[in-house]
Amino acid sequence: MRACLRFAPMIGSREGELPAEEARSLAAHLSECPSCRALSAEAAVLEGLVSEALLAKAAARDFSPFVDLVLSRVERTPARRSLWPRATALPRSTPARGRGLARPFLALLARNWKLATAFAVALVAAASVFMYVHRDNGEPEEIASLEIDLEGGDTVLQTSDGPVVLFAPDESGS
Amino acid sequence: MTRLLACGLAFGLAVLASAPARARGDVPVHIRIIKGSKKGPAKMDASLEPLKRQLSSLAYVRWESASDEERTMVRGKLESVKLPDGDEVTIVVQDEAPEKVTFEVTVVSRKTQSRLTVEKGQRIVHQVSGEKNGSAFFLTLYATPEK
Repeated sequence: MRACLRFAPMIGSREGELPAEEARSLAAHLSECPSCRALSAEAAVLEGLVSEALLAKAAARDFSPFVDLVLSRVERTPARRSLWPRATALPRSTPARGRGLARPFLALLARNWKLATAFAVALVAAASVFMYVHRDNGEPEEIASLEIDLEGGDTVLQTSDGPVVLFAPDESGS
Repeated sequence: MTRLLACGLAFGLAVLASAPARARGDVPVHIRIIKGSKKGPAKMDASLEPLKRQLSSLAYVRWESASDEERTMVRGKLESVKLPDGDEVTIVVQDEAPEKVTFEVTVVSRKTQSRLTVEKGQRIVHQVSGEKNGSAFFLTLYATPEK
């Protein structure tokens, strides 16, 4: 009985599922124990029934039109527009490199009006900021000569690093 | 749509970020007050090394930094600098161009006013106090005008 308890979980196991030693022990036990043999036979029948039922269910479904259905759906779906024009659309005989780069960009803007609008708004904003930052005050540019204008009779030493202004000795309070 | 707007916004922000952050008329100026002495062993603070060529032409041999600060000056706006002896010096950026800046330096106690135009990379060294016991204070100005 203790042996039956040990082998009960192994009954119904598939071929190769048990280690070789346990499989041999189970076979030896089944040859000696009629109740476990009966249990094993019942499990085998049940497994066979389940397998047959599953196969029958699977066979009932017809997969033959699957491929045709998928292909028909693919053909119906419009091709997704790529943001960037394909490289093959570019004329290979474009003489100037810059022009070759500008054309697909302009084509992109022409095809995506929202992107073109966003780009234009950003461009105007950038131009406004640039003009604001670099606005001209209307003053003429001075010539690049050094100008030194002292009031108080001080002296100036001109060096290449810049002017050095010194108080006149008689006014320095020394 | 959201992606396109995000692209446009990102582009605009990138352009804005690339624009100079400084407004026209702002001039970053490095202002130092240094003390020159004719007495004592010759010595110059390490921070005054860039001024060495200008200072070496003077009779003062010992140079010490008294104050050191960076200010962003606005054209026409008067900036005041206090000297260690209590006197005051005022500085005004009178004009600024990409390669040069014109400063007006006024030493209040002496009622002197200097108008100096320096090119980019040049420094002004200006005596701002009379010599006392062989020492005098000097103001140095170094501007980096907008390119």
